[in-house]
Amino acid sequence: MANKPKLAVYWAASCGGCEIALANLNEKLLEVLEHFDFVFCPCLLDTKYKDVEAMADGEIFITLFNGAIRNEENEHMAKILRKKSKILIAYGSCAYEGCIPGLGNMYHGDEILKAVFIDSPTTENPNKLLPMTKTETKDGVLTLPAFYEKVKTLSMVTEVDYYIPGCPPEPHKIWEVISFVVEKLSTGQSLPPKGAILGAGSSTVCIECDRKKENKKIKTFKRIYEIIPNSEICLLEQGIICMGIATRDGCGALCPKVNMPCTGCYGPPEDVLDQGAKMIAALGSVLDIGDTKGLSEEEINRRINEILNTIPDLVGTFYKYSLPGSILQGKIKGR
Amino acid sequence: MKRRITIDPITRLEGHGKIEIFLNEEGDVENVYLQVPELRGFEKFVVGRAAEDMPVILNRICGV
Repeated sequence: MANKPKLAVYWAASCGGCEIALANLNEKLLEVLEHFDFVFCPCLLDTKYKDVEAMADGEIFITLFNGAIRNEENEHMAKILRKKSKILIAYGSCAYEGCIPGLGNMYHGDEILKAVFIDSPTTENPNKLLPMTKTETKDGVLTLPAFYEKVKTLSMVTEVDYYIPGCPPEPHKIWEVISFVVEKLSTGQSLPPKGAILGAGSSTVCIECDRKKENKKIKTFKRIYEIIPNSEICLLEQGIICMGIATRDGCGALCPKVNMPCTGCYGPPEDVLDQGAKMIAALGSVLDIGDTKGLSEEEINRRINEILNTIPDLVGTFYKYSLPGSILQGKIKGR
Repeated sequence: MKRRITIDPITRLEGHGKIEIFLNEEGDVENVYLQVPELRGFEKFVVGRAAEDMPVILNRICGV
């Protein structure tokens, strides 16, 4: 028992879905426990921060770190777990690229605090109190971690060994990573090079999607409530923005299989730095603005904008899961 | 003797929580503070997004 490598799972700014994806290994969890001692996971085990802090450096073999870095505590835990772990994996889209909490990067942290604690119609806060890092009470000083101006990804605050994309990562892919690591360890082989993406493919969701793909010429984009999509033809060809062409494969094209467009949760495909830019570039080649011969530049622009204006939310569409990890990382002051 | 007991984090639930318990001279609980150190700000960043995106975005408040 004592010689089993230790496994930890931690959440920073996250929803807990990554823990549930792990729990969804179901009976395979027992096999995980055959190979690892599960030492820390606030969602499932009662281990405290001080227990982790008391561990020796490198004592944990693998930490699956999910959640984005939204506050001081998240960063502190990222650094502690880095020190205590031989292998630190950014597990899930939040740790890998910022994910949904990263949409907060369209605002300054102070705007978010004000919206939540002062302007929210369901919050009663007549004295307009905001959370403070230190509060004096008659009993003693209470502390809270500082809320950051912007969301960061795990690799922006510490060194990351591997990445497992997905919101959440699919359980069978988590199993693939765990059994792969176990096999490498038991046969004495070396692990993949640092920075590798595990538990996903290197192409796009389209290769896992069996819809018919023919001719992409889009005259207008449709919002999902505007049409009932044909279940056999490529959603993008039907004018629905499906992020599949700019998203890494690995999920098994779950969303397109149930007639919903891919929203991009597995992040950019191999060698693509910026998922939104990739998608915009792809769309640029399929917009059908008709014959442009003899048209003025203004008219061409007008036709392009007419189509683009049918997309209600550019950031929420193209960067739903990847804003902090993208090239711009969020809204730039003054723009 | 007055004592302070810190439970950090609260475990086996979704989210982040911390409890500070203050005991008096007799060892009885005098005061307790529950703190939630976590905030993501859905209240702000969903505003202006497409209505049909709400089921996709808001189910990430809690995935448990």
